[in-house]
Amino acid sequence: MANENLNTTASTESQSTSTEDPTSEPLVEQSISVDSERSHTTANADTVIESRNLDVYYGETQALQGIDLAIPENQVTAMIGPSGCGKSTFLRCINRMNDLIDICRVEGELTFNGKNVYDDDVDPIALRRRIGMVFQHPNPFPKSIYDNVAYGLSVQNMDVDVDAVVEESLKKAALWDEVKDQLDKSALNLSGGQQQRLCIARAIAVDPEVILMDEPASALDPIATSKIEDLIEELAEEYTVVIVTHNMQQAARISDTTAVFLTGGELVEFDDTNKIFENPDSQRVEDYITGKFG
Amino acid sequence: MATPGREIDWAGETGQVSRLRGVAFELACLAAVGVALVSVLVLLLYVATDALRPFSADPGWHLVFFLTLVVPTLGTAVYFYRLEEPAGEVAYATTGLPVVGILFAAALAVVLDIELVTALELFALLVATLVAAGIVVVHGRYRPGAALERLGVVVAAPVVTVFGVPPVEVIRALNGVLSLIGLPAVSGARLPSLRELILLSPVAPLEWILVIVSVTIPVAGALGLFVARRRENRRDGLAFVGGAVAATLLAPVAGPLLGIGSTGWVLAVTFCLLPPAVYVEGVVRRNEGVHGLAFPLVLVGGILLGAVLVRQFGFAPPDSWLDWQFLTSAHSRTPEDAGFYPPIVGSIMLLIVVAASAFPVGVGAAIYLEEYAPASGLSGKFVELVEINIGNLAGVPSVVYGLLGLALFIRAINMPSGAVIVGGLAVGLLILPIVIISAQEALRAVPDSHREAAYGMGATRWQVTRSVVLPQAIPGILTGTILAVGRAIGETAPLLMIGAAASVRLAPNSFSDQLPAMPRQIFAWSSNLEPEIRHGVLAAGVVTLLVVLLIMNGTAILIRNKYQREL
Ligand SMILES: Nc1ncnc2c1ncn2[C@@H]1O[C@H](COP(=O)(O)OP(=O)(O)OP(=O)(O)O)[C@@H](O)[C@H]1O
Ligand SMILES: [Mg+2]
Repeated sequence: MANENLNTTASTESQSTSTEDPTSEPLVEQSISVDSERSHTTANADTVIESRNLDVYYGETQALQGIDLAIPENQVTAMIGPSGCGKSTFLRCINRMNDLIDICRVEGELTFNGKNVYDDDVDPIALRRRIGMVFQHPNPFPKSIYDNVAYGLSVQNMDVDVDAVVEESLKKAALWDEVKDQLDKSALNLSGGQQQRLCIARAIAVDPEVILMDEPASALDPIATSKIEDLIEELAEEYTVVIVTHNMQQAARISDTTAVFLTGGELVEFDDTNKIFENPDSQRVEDYITGKFG
Repeated sequence: MATPGREIDWAGETGQVSRLRGVAFELACLAAVGVALVSVLVLLLYVATDALRPFSADPGWHLVFFLTLVVPTLGTAVYFYRLEEPAGEVAYATTGLPVVGILFAAALAVVLDIELVTALELFALLVATLVAAGIVVVHGRYRPGAALERLGVVVAAPVVTVFGVPPVEVIRALNGVLSLIGLPAVSGARLPSLRELILLSPVAPLEWILVIVSVTIPVAGALGLFVARRRENRRDGLAFVGGAVAATLLAPVAGPLLGIGSTGWVLAVTFCLLPPAVYVEGVVRRNEGVHGLAFPLVLVGGILLGAVLVRQFGFAPPDSWLDWQFLTSAHSRTPEDAGFYPPIVGSIMLLIVVAASAFPVGVGAAIYLEEYAPASGLSGKFVELVEINIGNLAGVPSVVYGLLGLALFIRAINMPSGAVIVGGLAVGLLILPIVIISAQEALRAVPDSHREAAYGMGATRWQVTRSVVLPQAIPGILTGTILAVGRAIGETAPLLMIGAAASVRLAPNSFSDQLPAMPRQIFAWSSNLEPEIRHGVLAAGVVTLLVVLLIMNGTAILIRNKYQREL
């Protein structure tokens, strides 16, 4: 890949910035001590997405404050935090879905493979073709299952064997066996869990580098949820996955790295998942994880 | 578990909550419904009695048709309604589709009959369009990357094949402008289009053959594609097209036999037989409400049986004003000879102009306002202002639109007073706000989550609109437009303002001819000196207009129901 160089520079940069981070976060007193460890965890994978001092405003209200984090390649990164703390906002910054909201304003830097996605010469549509997204509520189009999966291929004018890609994507999304006989049936006849896996299949059909998932299992029952979780872990072998979740166990089970946002739109802690759940630096994070604060 | 001894204050004589006000309110609302229904029904009955004169028939005639037609159809209708709702829907559709088909076929037959468009012109247009489409497709196949070049081809191909270089219309418009500023008209060599070359051909096949090629085959092809897709079998689709063409080829025999002519037969098969056939096939395959198919049979069987019996017993039918003669002749001073044909044709042509002008403009405006216009900031406020004013325009009295038409089209750009095109454009302006608003509503009903999903896949705004928003919004847009157009054909005031003639003897055969329109003719009859015209003929006209409106609204409802079920 031609991006390899960029990646390494980005990751070294991320290390240097992450050493500076905590000092700019006065609320987290003890985070300096984790520093060495954090650079340790991020160092064993290349950084794909990195934000530096990212502020997001909706009109006058600020939704995110000076976010610095680096998302490692081919791993699962979880974002947790109470409702309204800006997790979705951050996710939507990465593929510039926020552009669709008129009043949304982004300041600071957010790089993907070392290039700031908010540079003037970036085409958000081309960017979204590299970064797939799965939403909180399953949102298949009212078209056939086949057409849903093939949608990205057709909008991106991809010159591929559509049948093969549809089959492969549905297999990767662990849905093929359930729908292979009804590919031309409406996707709306599927159950909620099946619909969500269909949306994942739709996202991976165009072979993006990163998949963003905003609470992909929040509308599903435990069985469907566990299927999606297995799926996410498998996807992480090929893709970089960023997932927002309200489910602590889920974050602990499937993610390699976890970011904890707290009310007011600040990133309080960003570290190895085990570290966050076993021995968080910040008392607020510990309270949040153990359910004393939310 | 109730604790013994505790007083129960929620049952028994003293434990009732007073509902007096609620009951009174409910009754008042019910009374309002009653008043509305009764007044409309009385009006309709009154008009229908005047137009059809049912009491001029023998009582036996009524009895026969009551027994053969009314009882069986009402019985099956009630049965479907109570016990088999899907069958009821099927019954509704299988009865309605042929009726709509007849209307379509009749409209096209009239268009061909008055030579508004000849069969050869239709054929030439079709061939030219196909060639243009072919060029675009081939270009896309060989140079898939060249987007700008493709745009050029998309514009240029139809110009070359359909319009000619330079298009006649452009020359005419240019000459119009030149003559306005006093310069001599230009006339130079021009390259005729493929369409014009076909029209020059000295020999042409018979009309009905041309109609098969240019109407039946496209319609059957589209339906056949649908059949093939649904049955996942190419051969079935081809068989369908083959069968359709075979049925139309019976034209030289069947047409004259039925008295509708060869072309009439071809049109009847294309519009009254093919769509119902596809629908019936779907019903049978899904095995859903198959019993509903019996309804049209009961209806037609009842009519035929009744007709035979009536003739057998020699019962006289009612001498109604609304009969074949009424539908096929022009206004006359003698009530018996007075007819409605020119106004019917005029109203159809008016509809064409209204739909062709209001639909693209209205839907385009709605798409811009919903999908593209900024929602915030100063420009967002401006858009909001525009939307509010479109809402206000929908309430502007129709006379004002007539005045606008008069000022704009007749005074400013010198169109002929009282012409079809002027009337159509004025009424088109009148319904434009309604079309915009209903199209906006249909677009708004498409969930944002679908738009987000598409944007998230890296779709451009145009792709989102075309492949996600429009397919879902089209049924709603169509429903709204049909209802609005239905309102348009009943409009009288704008036609008075643009100087539509009271009675026109000859059906118009071009868009710049004098416009006879149904409501205008009805209005003229209302002040006729002959009482039989004022009461009988006028009522027949009103009933005709109402039937057309009813059919249009029924179609709109059918589209809406189908769409809601699929969702
Ligand atoms: N379209 C919008 N317009 C205005 N404010 C918004 C918009 N979207 C989000 N916000 C605000 O931004 C803040 C962060 O919202 P966001 O949706 O990112 O939270 P979240 O962490 O995803 O919450 P949840 O867990 O409930 O999904 C909230 O205070 C919210 O009110
Ligand atoms: Mg959220």
